[in-house]
Amino acid sequence: MTSFKPTRRTLLKTGTAAAAFATLGPAFLRQAAAQDADLAPYKSAQIDWQQVSGETITVAVIPASYFENLIALAPQFKALTGIDVRFEKIPPAQIRQKSVIDLTSKTGTYATHAADPMYYALYAANKWVEPLDTYLADKSLTDPAWFKLDDIIPAWRSANGIDGKLYGMPYDGEVTIQVYRKDLYDAKGLKPADTLEAYTSNAAALNTPNDRVWGAALRGVAGAGQNMYIYPSIFREFGGDWMKGGKLTVNGPEAEAALAWYVDIMKKYAPTAAANWNWPDIADAFSQGTVASYIDAHSSASVINNPEKSKVIGKVAYARWPKGPSGKRTTSIWNWGFPINSALPEKKRKATWLFIQWAASAETQARTAHKFAGPTKRSGVNRTSVWKDPDYIKLMNGFGENFVEATMGALQDDTDVDWRPRVPQWPAIGDTMATAIQSALSGQVTIKAALDDAQRRIEPMMRG
Amino acid sequence: MTAKRLRIITLLAISMVFLLAWAFPIVWSVLNSLKTDSDVLAYPPKLVFAPTLDAYRDVLFGSGSILPNLLSSVIISVGTTVVTMLMAVPAAYALARLRFRGKKFAGFYVLATQMLPPVGIIIPYFLVLRNIGWIDTYQGIILIYLSFSLPFAIWLLVSYFEDIPFEMEEAAYLDGASRLKTLWRIIIPQVRGGIAVTIVFVFLNAWNEFLFAVVLSGNTVRPVTVAMFNFVSVEQTLWAKLAAVSVLAMLPVVVLGVVAQKHIVKGLTVGAVKGGGRR
Repeated sequence: MTSFKPTRRTLLKTGTAAAAFATLGPAFLRQAAAQDADLAPYKSAQIDWQQVSGETITVAVIPASYFENLIALAPQFKALTGIDVRFEKIPPAQIRQKSVIDLTSKTGTYATHAADPMYYALYAANKWVEPLDTYLADKSLTDPAWFKLDDIIPAWRSANGIDGKLYGMPYDGEVTIQVYRKDLYDAKGLKPADTLEAYTSNAAALNTPNDRVWGAALRGVAGAGQNMYIYPSIFREFGGDWMKGGKLTVNGPEAEAALAWYVDIMKKYAPTAAANWNWPDIADAFSQGTVASYIDAHSSASVINNPEKSKVIGKVAYARWPKGPSGKRTTSIWNWGFPINSALPEKKRKATWLFIQWAASAETQARTAHKFAGPTKRSGVNRTSVWKDPDYIKLMNGFGENFVEATMGALQDDTDVDWRPRVPQWPAIGDTMATAIQSALSGQVTIKAALDDAQRRIEPMMRG
Repeated sequence: MTAKRLRIITLLAISMVFLLAWAFPIVWSVLNSLKTDSDVLAYPPKLVFAPTLDAYRDVLFGSGSILPNLLSSVIISVGTTVVTMLMAVPAAYALARLRFRGKKFAGFYVLATQMLPPVGIIIPYFLVLRNIGWIDTYQGIILIYLSFSLPFAIWLLVSYFEDIPFEMEEAAYLDGASRLKTLWRIIIPQVRGGIAVTIVFVFLNAWNEFLFAVVLSGNTVRPVTVAMFNFVSVEQTLWAKLAAVSVLAMLPVVVLGVVAQKHIVKGLTVGAVKGGGRR
C-alpha cells in the first residue's frame, strides 16, 4: 500500500480546492436549481418582471430558517427579473440598530430589511420608508388579481399599517397561543384553559418541582420584545387601554391587576430561572419535559418538535390564548415585514418592490414552506390560502393536536393591533416598561411603585 | 499532621477552588462543543457522554461555515495590530522622551479620545466610511479600530519608555549613534516586553470587538464575533455549534498568549533597570 504523504504544495492545493467548493459549490447548485425552476406561475402575472433587469439590491434579514429558505430561492428571482439580490444576515437585536442608522443617514444601504412592526410608526413619521399603496396601485408594477393582497393575514397587515397605510409587507409572522402537555393534562383530567384564572389553576395542579415539572412559563427576561411581548396582551385582556384620553397611561388599576397576575404565576409556578428566560429558553425547557404549559409564539412548535432534541414529541397540544377578566382574548401578534427604503433611486425602489411582491406572493410562500426541498418547516406563512392548503395543513398538524385550528383561530379572532401602542416612541417605552416589569418580578419594588415609576419616565418621552 | 503540612494543604485547596472557578467557563464551552444538542440540554448536566465532532464539522465545513469569518478576524486583528504598533511606538517614545510645545495637551488629547462612548460615535463613523465607500472593507474597519487601539497602545507604551534610564540613551549618543538608531538598537530591545504586552492587548481588543464590527461590516468582511450570532437565531440557540465557534475563536488568542508568554511576564514586571523618568 502506498502511503499518502502530503507535501505543503499538495496540502495547499487540496485546501484551496476544498475551500473553493465549500464557498462556490452551493452557489452552483442553486444556479442549477434556478434554471430548472418553473417560473410560469409568476409569469402569469400581468406585469413585466424584467422591467428593471440589471439592478442589484441588498436585503438585510435575521438568521432564521424562514429567511434561509427564501435565500435559497433567490436564484429563481434572479432568473425571473434579472435583479441581483445580496442578502446580509444580521442578528435580531442589531438589525434594528443597523437599519435605523442606514435610514437616518439616508445612505440607502439596505433596499429593504426584515422590519419590526413596532418601528413603522417611527419610520413613517420620518418618511424613511415608502407607503406601499402607491406600488400596489401601479398597474405596471403590480397585478392585483395575481398578488391578492387580501389573502395576506389581515392582522399582520394591520400591524404594519399606520393611519390605514401599509408600510411593510408581511413575509413571515407569528401569533401567541397556549402550548401544553396533553399527556400530563389528561392524567389529571384537565382541559386547556379558557380563562387566565383557569390557566393559573391548571398550572397549580401540575406544578411538581420535586419531579422537575413546573406548571407554567412565560417570557421573563427584560426587553421590548421579551417580557414586553407577553405583558401587553395580559394588560389588554384585563381591560387596559394604553391611551386614556389621548395620554399614554401605564399605571391604571387594570395595569396593576395584569402585572399582579403575571408576577403571581411566574413566582409560584414557573422555574425560578424563567425570570431570565426568553422564548428559546422556554421552548428548550418544554422540549425537555420540565414545563407543563406555556403561552408564547406558535412558531416555537418547530423547536419543541425537533426530533434531535425534543423529548415531548407526540405529547403536545395547542389552544388559543385564555380569555382575560374583560372577556377578551388578545394575542401578541408579530411579523417580519419588508418596507421600501425611501432613500433609494426610483429604479432601485421598483426593483425592491418586485422583490417584495415576489417574496410575499402565494407561490413563493408555498415554495418556501411545504414545497421546500429542505428540512425546515415554516410555520409562519403569510397567506390564508396556504393555511387552507391540505398539504400545508398536513405538515403543520405534525406539530401536535389542534395546531392549525388554534393558530388560525388566534390569527382571525384574537388579535388586537393595538395590543401595543403604535407610537414612534415605542422602542424606548417598551424598554422602560420591560425594566419596570422585571423589577416587580424580582420583588425589588411593589407592583404599584414599578408602574408609577414607569409612568413618570414615559410621560416626558411622549412630550418629546 | 504538622502545622506546615496543614498550611500547604489549605493553600492547595484554595488554589484548586480558584483554578476551577477560572477554568469553568472554558471547560464548559469545550464540553458543550463536543456534545449533541440533546446532550447539551440534558438535566442533570452530563459529564459522561459520547463526544462528537459534529458541531465542529458543521461550523467549519457546513453551509454557514465560519472559516471566511475567522479569516476576516485574522486580517482585521493582524492589520490593526501592525499599523497600531508602527505608529504607537514612535509616538509613545516621543511623548516619553522628547520636549516639545503642547506635549501635555497632546498626551491628554490622546487619552481624551478614549473617553467617548463608542455608541455615540458610531453614526459619524458609519457616515464617513459610507461617503468614502469603505463600509464593509478591511481598510474601513481597521481605520476605525485604529481610533481606539492607537491611544490605548500609546498610553501603555509610554510607561515602558519612561522606565528606561536616560544613561543608556546618553551612552549611545556618546558612541555616535543617531536618535533613530538609538531608538531602534538600544531602546526598543529594552521595551520588548512592553511591546509584546501591547501587541497582545491590541490584538485581543480587535479580535473581540463586536459593536463597530456589526455596524461597519457586511457580507464581504464579517469577523467571527458577528458571525457567531448566526447560531443564536430568533427560533433557537444552537448551543453546541455556538460553543464550537467560541472554542475556535479562542484558539488564536490562546496561541498568541502562549507564544508571547515569556515577554508578557517580563513586560508586566517592567524594564531592565528602574530609575528613568520624563524629561
